[in-house]
Amino acid sequence: MAVGVKVVNRPGSLAQQAYLPAIAEGLGVTFRHFVKNFFGNVTGNRKKTDIATMEYPEEKMKYPERNRGLHRLMLRDDGQVRCVACMMCPTVCPAHCITIVPEEAPDGRIEKRPMIFEIDELRCVVCGLCVEACPCDAIRMDTLDHAKPTYRRVDAILDKEELMSRGIQSTAVQGGVGAFWRERVGGQPQTPPAGAVVPAGAPHGPTPLRDHGHK
Amino acid sequence: MTTTPITGTPPSPAPATELVTVTVDGKTQQFPKGTVLLEACNQMGAGVPFFCYHPGLTSPAVCRQCLVDVKGQPKPVPSCYTPVADKMEVMTKSPRALDVRRQMLEFTLVNHPIDCPICDKAGECLLQKHYFDWDAKLARNDGIKVKKAKVVDIGPRIVLDQERCILCTRCIRVCDEVAKTHQLEMADRGDHEVLTTAPGHQLDNPYSLNTVDVCPVGALTSKDFRFAMRAWELYTTPSICPGCATGCNIEVHHSHGKIQRLIPRQNDQVNEHWMCDEGRLTYKRVHAQRLAAPMSGGVPVDWDRALDDAGRALRVALDAGPAQVGVVMNAQSTNEDLYALARLTFDHLGLGKVYLAGLDQGWSDDILVSADKNPNTAGAMAIGAGRLRTLLDLANDLKSGAVTTLLVVGTHGVIGKDGAPGALPLDRLTTLVVVGTHRDEVTAAAKVALPLAEWAESDGTFTNRLGMVQRVRAAVPPAGDSLPGWEILSHLARKLGATMEFTEAKTVFAEAKQKLPFMKDAEWGRPLLPVQLRFAGSRG
Repeated sequence: MAVGVKVVNRPGSLAQQAYLPAIAEGLGVTFRHFVKNFFGNVTGNRKKTDIATMEYPEEKMKYPERNRGLHRLMLRDDGQVRCVACMMCPTVCPAHCITIVPEEAPDGRIEKRPMIFEIDELRCVVCGLCVEACPCDAIRMDTLDHAKPTYRRVDAILDKEELMSRGIQSTAVQGGVGAFWRERVGGQPQTPPAGAVVPAGAPHGPTPLRDHGHK
Repeated sequence: MTTTPITGTPPSPAPATELVTVTVDGKTQQFPKGTVLLEACNQMGAGVPFFCYHPGLTSPAVCRQCLVDVKGQPKPVPSCYTPVADKMEVMTKSPRALDVRRQMLEFTLVNHPIDCPICDKAGECLLQKHYFDWDAKLARNDGIKVKKAKVVDIGPRIVLDQERCILCTRCIRVCDEVAKTHQLEMADRGDHEVLTTAPGHQLDNPYSLNTVDVCPVGALTSKDFRFAMRAWELYTTPSICPGCATGCNIEVHHSHGKIQRLIPRQNDQVNEHWMCDEGRLTYKRVHAQRLAAPMSGGVPVDWDRALDDAGRALRVALDAGPAQVGVVMNAQSTNEDLYALARLTFDHLGLGKVYLAGLDQGWSDDILVSADKNPNTAGAMAIGAGRLRTLLDLANDLKSGAVTTLLVVGTHGVIGKDGAPGALPLDRLTTLVVVGTHRDEVTAAAKVALPLAEWAESDGTFTNRLGMVQRVRAAVPPAGDSLPGWEILSHLARKLGATMEFTEAKTVFAEAKQKLPFMKDAEWGRPLLPVQLRFAGSRG
């Protein structure tokens, strides 16, 4: 029956046994943070406080640069939509949220453009595959914005005009890098041979390949 | 009108005179003398690429993409231009053969614009396929490409893109050899060589859209299909063209329940590789002006109500006098629909006044197009077996009051295109029950109109002018509430007290096959699901 029993003595000193100094110490930490955060907040110098939350909606989270947000359609130099309705994005879209109806463009150099380009932001799973599939740098998700809340589902379907309203001109060259791309990859400004026809819209400076999605 | 059964399995080709032994990549097989080496290689699974060769056309060997090494030959030979010879040893994968083919491909791509994103052929393009299969490397050439004309309107149905053209001349040969007109030509030389129309011509022959099919790239595109769909969005279902009595074998390309285009399917006994432009546009009627719901007294009702009304109306007329009840069959219906109607009319109701309707005669040629614009006249005549009368008889019977009640199954051509020749005084009828596909004058005049599925929406068979019973497959769902004809007639028979219980088109076919001699050798075929277009099934 000899069960081994080990007697552990309580902390020795009276101060430790009373707990009060430790409580006071803990309250002190709390009070120190309170003072720091309270007055830091009041004086507006929140950087020096320890507050982890944000005062939404006055203050908004700054998203990282690669955040995938609301879609936008990029524009050509003359303000037309860059999209050529190649159907890569609706093909790759796992949520089937992109609807494109192509039409013949009046501009013969472009040939094809979307008559209807709609994205159902309620269906979108924000995977970004449409951006990766796009051969023309026409669709992007870099607006750092959210799909807006709506009262009706139909209002969450963004049409071409709305998507283009957020668009800017792309630095990519429509139709690929074009001739003399080796020089451009090397970073050297290209000099076309005398008499050569430079395609319309060719850039003037070096255009690194990685800007065009080539790896 | 012949009804000789030439059905079932096509007769095997005449026994070859002589067989030669060919060794391809180490495998040996016998081929009939005269076989093209390219066919021999690809039958043995060598997968030799080609652009200008087409099994239905002569071979000019201009693309040099099918070069293979033949033992004993100093240079690689174009396999599309070389007949097989005895004890020939062919190396399709030798380093030299691979090298020349890759160089030829690179050469073809030098001035190709690579505008695949806006090219209708992307996804079924032979140049894309061969590039990914055999090369798949970055371009070594970075000079400026030769610019040529894009979006050239060369005819009423075709748009040409000269930049995309790889100068294979398939389209020229289609015009010359199939349509028997010379409307396309090559002009200029070297890297400025372009495809263009022959002087004073445009590409407007009745077989012009075959050039779009055979074009290995997207140089020739169909105005009708242009920018409508990408190839990979389409599903394909084999079927038969309803445009005329020839019965060209086709593939129905459809997406989301809508037909997008019809393209020919190879059948050496009927249409080889081709079909006419007119036939390609027959799909339009499937999606236009369709009768979507049963109508009774001009009001849409549900099927039960409509069938009750139709049955009651017909029953009253039959009780009053069966001699005054007429039935109109249609040469546009499938054999199954016609058989079900014949069973109901002749066997169960014992009616004598049965008329055959159909679209008016049109133009014809000695290539494919038949003057009879109905796909199943032969089947209707055989099923009617001499008991059918013409629409002219019907017009006379209506005028004289010999027919006061009419059941019309299929409204195509019941009222002639111009109204005058086939004009029927339908207002003289006391009861008109119509089973019809479209909202037209006949369904509008009907007391009860029941929506009928179109040819692309129901399974069945057509009998062409040669008497071949060919299978039609449902490609798209029926418009609205419409049903196949045999099903509507089964329901109607039940309302009339007849027992005609068909559960599916195949059972109608099986019964018809037993009873009708012309369908004796017909085959129903295996069930098929629509196949999505992929490179494996590319029609290039």
